[in-house]
This record gives sequence, structure tokens and C-alpha cells, in this order.
Amino acid sequence: MSTYISGGCKNGKSMWAQRIALAYAGRKPLYYVATMLPGDAEDEARIRRHRAERAGLGFVTLERGRDILSALDGADLSGAFLIDSVTALLANEMFDARGFHPQAGQKVADDLEAFVARAPNAVIVSDFIFSDAAIYDDTTDAYRAALALVDRRMAACCDNVLEIAAGIPIIHKGVLPI
Amino acid sequence: MVLIIGGSHQGKLAFARERFGLSDADVCLCDENTDALDTSRRCVAYVDRWALNRLRAGADPLAEMEAILPQLKGAVVIAADISAGVVPIEALMRAWREACGRLTASLATEADEVWRLFCGLPQRLK
Repeated sequence: MSTYISGGCKNGKSMWAQRIALAYAGRKPLYYVATMLPGDAEDEARIRRHRAERAGLGFVTLERGRDILSALDGADLSGAFLIDSVTALLANEMFDARGFHPQAGQKVADDLEAFVARAPNAVIVSDFIFSDAAIYDDTTDAYRAALALVDRRMAACCDNVLEIAAGIPIIHKGVLPI
Repeated sequence: MVLIIGGSHQGKLAFARERFGLSDADVCLCDENTDALDTSRRCVAYVDRWALNRLRAGADPLAEMEAILPQLKGAVVIAADISAGVVPIEALMRAWREACGRLTASLATEADEVWRLFCGLPQRLK
């Protein structure tokens, strides 16, 4: 049973995602698919700290900044997978050294749909960045539109869709699976 | 009146079209160049963009909206929620943010139904 989670920053999305993934795993393997690519020493220190915290919970960390489906190579597909976050994955797919890739939203949505089809015990975390009072430049708006496209397609295909507000889950589809 | 709110790109217009059977010709699609809302259409979409136009013109979008509210009685009104970001540095954008908050609250008071879209999923608030 797959669960898609979004909401504002520091509202408790990752905490809920971890709890749900732990419940999905049972005695099966528990994978954390980390999508952030470190940009500097500060990022690397943060990643080391998060890795150590998750190891205590039993997570095996798979680092995939792009091509998320490759995280399934050699993994036990009956295990639980926590993907955190769609926001970083899309940024990596959309912007790289070769420039700007306008079709990245379609690609990420295709990849994540295929991911959930193969590994149904997936918990996927996104970010709600769509309610501010700003008129953005075309590139930034293309990124927001692409993230929203991924959100809408995943909300349609996942069993549960949760918005986390102030640490409280709001059920938009399905059930709170724990 | 039916009011549909939600953040950018959340599927507000797609939901309105499907639920209320709207065609392209039924929808007044506002942008920053929309001076006046076309209340002869069944749906007035993105009143937030119209409000920005009115503020740039030095007009009061709240007063203008109140004046045409009776004409919107049977309409579907769509407003983007722009209320949950950092306070903008530019005075016009701050005024826009506040005007949209008041506008949405006032429309919601009048509306028989209020819907909020999240990741393409509708939730009925009223």
C-alpha cells in the first residue's frame, strides 16, 4: 500500500513517512532512498548526521539523486521504501551541468509510477510550495508546475495521500496506514 | 456560488470543468491584464490575477468585487491561495497578498459550496 505525503516545511512530513515505512517493513528490509546530491561540506555533514540517525531505525540508505528506478536494482521489492524527497529528485533531474530539462516533471512522474508499481510498499515525500504571493520567472515557474504535475499524478496513483500540518496528518485519499 | 481555492497548479480549473461540466466558452480566464470580470460566463477563474491588475491600476478589488457579487450568484469562482509564503518585499505584492486573503474570505462567506484542491484531490470545506 503506497502513501504520498506533502505539506509545508518542518511540519513533520519525514517523521510520519518514517513511521509509516517502519510499519510497512515489518520484518522485511527497510530502504531509505535519499535524493539529495550534496553541494558542499555543510550538506555532507548533514547527510552523515541523517544517515547515522536512520541507521538506528534500521534503514538501509540508497543514494539516488537521479534515475530513481535504479534504486530497485538488487533490492527486495517486498520491502518498504521511503523516498525523501520528490522536490530534490526533480531539481536534480531538471537542472544539471548540461542545463535545463523541461520534460523532467514527466520523467520523474513516469519513474515514480513505475517505482510504486514494482515496489508497492512505498512512502514518498514531496513539499507544498504553491501558496506564496509571488510571480516567478519562467524557469522557477516551470519547476513549480513540474512538481505539481508529479504531485497530481502520484496522488492519482498512490493508495493514500496525506497532507501534514503542524505534525497532524490530514487524509486527502485512502487512510492513515498506521 | 461555488468557490474553489487551492495553491498554484493544484488542479482547480480541471476539477471545476469536470464537476460542473464547463466548456472553454463558459470560463472567463483572468490574467494580470484583465480589467473587468466577465460575469456573463458560468465560471470566473483566477480572480487573484484580476485583483493584481486592479491594485496596479490603483483600484480597490474588494469594493469592485462587492459591487458585482449579485451577478456571481450562480457562478463558479476560482481563486488561487497565495496566503502561505514569506511576506513579500515589494509593497504592491504585500497589498496583493492581503487583498486576496480578504477577497477569498468574503467570497467564501457568500458561497454555498467551498472546495479546496490539494495535489488534484478535492476537499469540500463548506
